[in-house]
Amino acid sequence: MKSAAVPTVFIVDDDRGMRQSIQDLVESVGLRAESFATGGEFLKRKPTNDPSCLVLDVRLPQMSGLDFQRQLAETGMQIPIIFITAHGDIPMSVRALKSGAVEFLTKPFRDQDLLDAIQEALQRDRATQEQQAEIHDLQERYGTLTAREQQVMALVVSGMLNKQIASEIGASEATVKVHRGNVMHKMKAGSVVDLVRMADKLKHSPRK
Amino acid sequence: MADEDVQQTLEDLSRELRESKARLEEAQRIAQVGHYYWNLIENRVIWSDELYRIYGLSPQKGPIDMAICREMIHPEDRDFVFRSAEEALHSEARPDIEHRVVRPDGEVRTVHALGSVKRDATGRPYEMFGTVQDITDRKRGEDVLKRTQFYLREGERIAHIGSWAFNESGHYWSDELYKIYGLDPQNGAPTVEQYLNLIHPEERASMAETIKLMQEQHCGHDLIERIVRPDGQLRFVRAVAVPVVEHGVFKGFIGTTMDVTEQELLTQELRREQAYLAEAQSLAHIGSWACNLITREIFHSSDENARLYGFDPSQGAIPFDDFYNTILVEDERALRVQLENAIRAGADYDVEFRIRRTDGAIRFMRGIGHHDAAQKFGEYVGITVDITERKRAEEEHEKLRQLEADLAHINRVNTMGELAAALAHEIKQPIAASITSANACFRWLAHDPPDLERARAAAARIEQDGNRAADIIDRLRSFYKRGLPPKREIVDVKEMIREMSALFRTEAVRHSIQIHSELHEDRPRVLADRVQLQQVFMNLMLNAIEAMKDSGGELQISSRLTPDSHLIISISDTGVGLPLEDGEKIFDAFHTTKSQGTGMGLAITRSIVEAHGGRVWATANAEAGATFHFTLPAKGEANA
Repeated sequence: MKSAAVPTVFIVDDDRGMRQSIQDLVESVGLRAESFATGGEFLKRKPTNDPSCLVLDVRLPQMSGLDFQRQLAETGMQIPIIFITAHGDIPMSVRALKSGAVEFLTKPFRDQDLLDAIQEALQRDRATQEQQAEIHDLQERYGTLTAREQQVMALVVSGMLNKQIASEIGASEATVKVHRGNVMHKMKAGSVVDLVRMADKLKHSPRK
Repeated sequence: MADEDVQQTLEDLSRELRESKARLEEAQRIAQVGHYYWNLIENRVIWSDELYRIYGLSPQKGPIDMAICREMIHPEDRDFVFRSAEEALHSEARPDIEHRVVRPDGEVRTVHALGSVKRDATGRPYEMFGTVQDITDRKRGEDVLKRTQFYLREGERIAHIGSWAFNESGHYWSDELYKIYGLDPQNGAPTVEQYLNLIHPEERASMAETIKLMQEQHCGHDLIERIVRPDGQLRFVRAVAVPVVEHGVFKGFIGTTMDVTEQELLTQELRREQAYLAEAQSLAHIGSWACNLITREIFHSSDENARLYGFDPSQGAIPFDDFYNTILVEDERALRVQLENAIRAGADYDVEFRIRRTDGAIRFMRGIGHHDAAQKFGEYVGITVDITERKRAEEEHEKLRQLEADLAHINRVNTMGELAAALAHEIKQPIAASITSANACFRWLAHDPPDLERARAAAARIEQDGNRAADIIDRLRSFYKRGLPPKREIVDVKEMIREMSALFRTEAVRHSIQIHSELHEDRPRVLADRVQLQQVFMNLMLNAIEAMKDSGGELQISSRLTPDSHLIISISDTGVGLPLEDGEKIFDAFHTTKSQGTGMGLAITRSIVEAHGGRVWATANAEAGATFHFTLPAKGEANA
């Protein structure tokens, strides 16, 4: 069961006292936490499939938190980020939030604010992971279709009738009906509407 | 022939003879010519009456005593006279001599003696006949003439003046005139054509015209002409010709010609020099002048001098008042006082003033006047210089200096701001960490059952981070003690105060603040980090200025040496003064009474001073404002 997975909170802050206290706070509410002094150390860790989020200090010695956020996005690593800073300004927070950060907190922050942000981030991550799992599933099913069936599926989704499809692919209407039945079965689609929704999700997912 | 006839003839002849003799004597008297017979056989000398008179004797009959005759000849001429006579007897030469005679009354006369020797068939001389003429008067005239001519010749030679005359009797040129034209007097005066050939080709035509006018209209002239001597030398001569008219009749010309080459070359040189000078004045915008400041007479004013004031020099002399009236009213009074003082003292002056030029432009001028003791009261020669450009450059420089001061101020504020920001970030970290740890601690305690182990660990971190925050503050306070490597050098405090005063001068003036310094030691020196010490001065002086920003006042910097060889430097202001509560607090970091202050200035000041082994403190002034003192261990004069 997915819900059985323990969410993990990653913390990147060059200040040891700061990352220790955040880790302790996170653990006090029953979440797992791992902390790192630099972004590089965090990247070396084996990626987890469990829901997770990142508490990231804006001012880091080698690379600023904002630059690290961009680097993560470029490598396709989708992890919700909560920024914390001792000296933040409005333009910086706007930039962070625009780039997809969950929250931007100024040190010292209220513990509840951080924990709320962490919960929201984990929720977001869970949703993202579910979506990704569904798409992964759909892609697997789609993969089982023959080339002819994939062609028929595309035409069905575009709203054509069997007769029109038959004329389009140069086959008999009966043959089209067989293909169509196979598509509905293999894709586990209950209705044409269901199939259209699946096709839509597939279209917007990254090709594997 | 009848006897009567003979008698008659004899009588006639005798009369004629008598008359003839009388006429001869008369003629001799008029001409002052006497004659003598010298019978060489008998050595008898017969003198005519006139000859006696010439010798100052009364005429007598019969021969004259040769001894007397000899005696009367001037002793210096005596030998010469008889030697000539001797020579005449032994040669064909006729004696022709001049000698002097001393009359019995002592008067000296000069005579001209001519002689003729008669000889017999054998050639033996038997008689000498001669005339003696008194030429004393003529001689005197000749001497005078000779002397006059000599003087004239010498005068002409010395003055390089030649003279000439041109009339019906001929064309006369003086020796010097020949010399001037480089001609040989042997060849005589040149013809008109020869003369024109001597004139410089460029002026030959006009000279020909002048000569034509002389000949036709008898016009005189006075001109300078260039001549080329036969030896090729170019000379300048001034030729003056004056027509001579007697009783309304034109007689000819007389004239003088003077060699003026040297003068002319000098004049040309002078003109050239003047042109150069004018050019130089124009380039340098310097005008020269000479005037009497009391009578307001101008003796000299160069073209450039006029142009400096916007006048056109070609319009002729410009009156003193025209110059003076261009001076700006606001500068005139001070200028007048300066000039009057200089005139009274007979001293030179060097003044600056502004004028409104005739074209309306305002220009800065510098006038330098020199009075020579030999000159009359109020007389000055001098120059005037347009110093507008220099003044503008100075103003630019002043602006730049102001900018520098502003920059120093901004820099200081920026540094403080940056430092404060860095500090805020540094201190926020442990504080935020403690707060978070405290939150975690509460949560561990709220667990059921409370997780005391974790709570204790969180509390330990709170302690750790609290200490860390304190350490940061300590690190800052000892920033100058430990943070920077010591860079100590001998610093001349007086020089540094002068520099810093100069740096803040503009800013001080802007707020009506006067900066004074009163330094008791000649050369107070300390061993210090120059830049840090500058910062101490900068902080304290800026504080003082800021305290007087709205009121204006006085910034006083003083220094004195304590018996234990500490230099105490005090920076005093007359501003708002110190806050009433404890004075030590003002040196703490982030303590500020100013709306824009960072609260770091005095904290840093204290760090620096203490790192140098000194102290810093503040006292309230009796009247107004505060004084900040700091001490530094002084280095003795030995380091000078």
